[in-house]
Amino acid sequence: MKNTSELKPTRRHFVKAGMATSAALLSSTSLAQETTLEPSRGPGRTIMEMGYYGERSEYAKDARLKGNRGTGLVGGSLTPLQNMQGMVTPSGLHFEVHHSGVPDIDPSEHKLLVHGLVGDAKVFTMEDLMRFPAESHFHFLECAGNGMGEWMSPRGKTVQQTHGLTSCSQWTGVPLRVILNELGIRGDAKWILAEGDDGARMTRSIPMWKAMDDAILAYAQNGEFLRPEQGFPLRLLVPGFEGNMNVKWLHRLEVSDKPWWTHHEVTEYADPRPDDKIRAFSFYMEGRSVITSPSAGMKLNGPGFYEISGLAWSGAGTITKVEISTDNGNTWSDANLEAPVLPKCHTRFRMPWTWDGRETTIMSRSTDDTGYTQPTYAEMYKLQGPIGMMHNNAIQNWHIAQDGEITNVRS
Amino acid sequence: MFAHNTKKIITFTAVAASLSFSALYASAQEKFGFGRSVDEAEIARYDSDIHTDGKGLPAGSGNVALGRDIFELQCALCHGENLEGVPEMGARSMHEGRRDIEKLPYASSLFDFIRRAMPLTDPGSLSNDESYGLVAFLLNETGVIDDPNLTLDAKSLADIKMPNRGNFIIDPASKFTTEDLEDK
Repeated sequence: MKNTSELKPTRRHFVKAGMATSAALLSSTSLAQETTLEPSRGPGRTIMEMGYYGERSEYAKDARLKGNRGTGLVGGSLTPLQNMQGMVTPSGLHFEVHHSGVPDIDPSEHKLLVHGLVGDAKVFTMEDLMRFPAESHFHFLECAGNGMGEWMSPRGKTVQQTHGLTSCSQWTGVPLRVILNELGIRGDAKWILAEGDDGARMTRSIPMWKAMDDAILAYAQNGEFLRPEQGFPLRLLVPGFEGNMNVKWLHRLEVSDKPWWTHHEVTEYADPRPDDKIRAFSFYMEGRSVITSPSAGMKLNGPGFYEISGLAWSGAGTITKVEISTDNGNTWSDANLEAPVLPKCHTRFRMPWTWDGRETTIMSRSTDDTGYTQPTYAEMYKLQGPIGMMHNNAIQNWHIAQDGEITNVRS
Repeated sequence: MFAHNTKKIITFTAVAASLSFSALYASAQEKFGFGRSVDEAEIARYDSDIHTDGKGLPAGSGNVALGRDIFELQCALCHGENLEGVPEMGARSMHEGRRDIEKLPYASSLFDFIRRAMPLTDPGSLSNDESYGLVAFLLNETGVIDDPNLTLDAKSLADIKMPNRGNFIIDPASKFTTEDLEDK
């Protein structure tokens, strides 16, 4: 019996044959000459071989970057913004921050208790919550500490390290106001304690006006149930507010007339100022932008055309303008904002650029529909001082050397 | 069909009348009727948080000596014998910076967090007495209350006025002022 390799020409044989044919074509003006088509790959994997939950290509390697302190129960991971396209972050690459690890919660046993200054205290199962009218909205989520390591000097080697604590998803759930209206809230109700069902029972005080505006009790992210690290089966979403307030594994809401000044809102997530005062209840993640490509850690392959692309977002509203400087802040040009441009959402911006091969520094700055323009580090230091490293939304500079190497700099 | 709707409207009106609804938040939303009503006893099993006026503080008490014993057993590994923090365990100093005990605005949140979240590897395992003792130990150790015999319970903890409370300012974007948030 013949060896199968003799029966079946290998791909290499075909390629050689193809090359020979191409050479013949080049030497001839006759179009009628017979050619050999590039060979088909042949059949691929069968449907039986494919998973019931799809997996990405083995060649796609984008990954979160993990950091942790001590035990690993308090820790997080960063989104690889340098490789992200469009405005949505794949759920598996969404950044995480945990304060007592990631709990394993059976949704059939999960309950949400709502009590305090309400007409009728109630407990809801996931089934109950999913019967209410739902809404879906695209929103970014950003940790208040995104870029805190950059505060005193540029340290991150990539945009993942400098800005990777922001991500963007489509979130689906029941608006919190629907639940509050269902129970009835008392006139003196001004604040809500949101409590998670992680080991540390994370708690934050949420203002009632936000709860009645656009807060969502979210059970889905990008069309499927939340990932465990994003709060499965239920999380609070307070669009545009600092990530920590978007309490995960939500199991209790208590309505009150006062905030609680919980541990996290008076320590990690309060903002010390240069005058020794401490700013509390600084909810908003203000307008920010960053060029994700080209960015630190990449290398330009010689002079020529490059598209400058990045993300802009504002917790206070909608991005109206992103300006880009390719000459170290001397002159600025408007970038194109890619639709859809949505409130409290990542907005993709793009601008064509031809690099002349000379050393330079590039940067972007955003403006939102409240008129707020992203500040420089110099402007931020005046307000927040050396220890005010949270809520860092300063303009990011990328230096491009003559050899095309890109690094994180402060100018 | 009429009867059904009328019943819902009546229910809503009754609730509204008895609770003085805020004009801002009142809504004529139809009730869906999902979820199960709960009584105070069921709420109490989950309602562990402590309000700034001391509401929620449990029975029991603890002194500096008890707190010191618990601290050495359960806390010092990460927080350091002298509250200096052990960076490789992820704990920062409680004498300076963001974890400075002296800078906390309320003692209530110290008790609340210790009881709900500590120790990191076994959260919720501390008794009420141990939690009171730890707060007493920490306040004495950091010089907030210079009394090595300090004993705390619900009443005495609620009465503590932390020295740094006046240095917290409220972000105007929160739509609240310092006056709004004062205990009346």
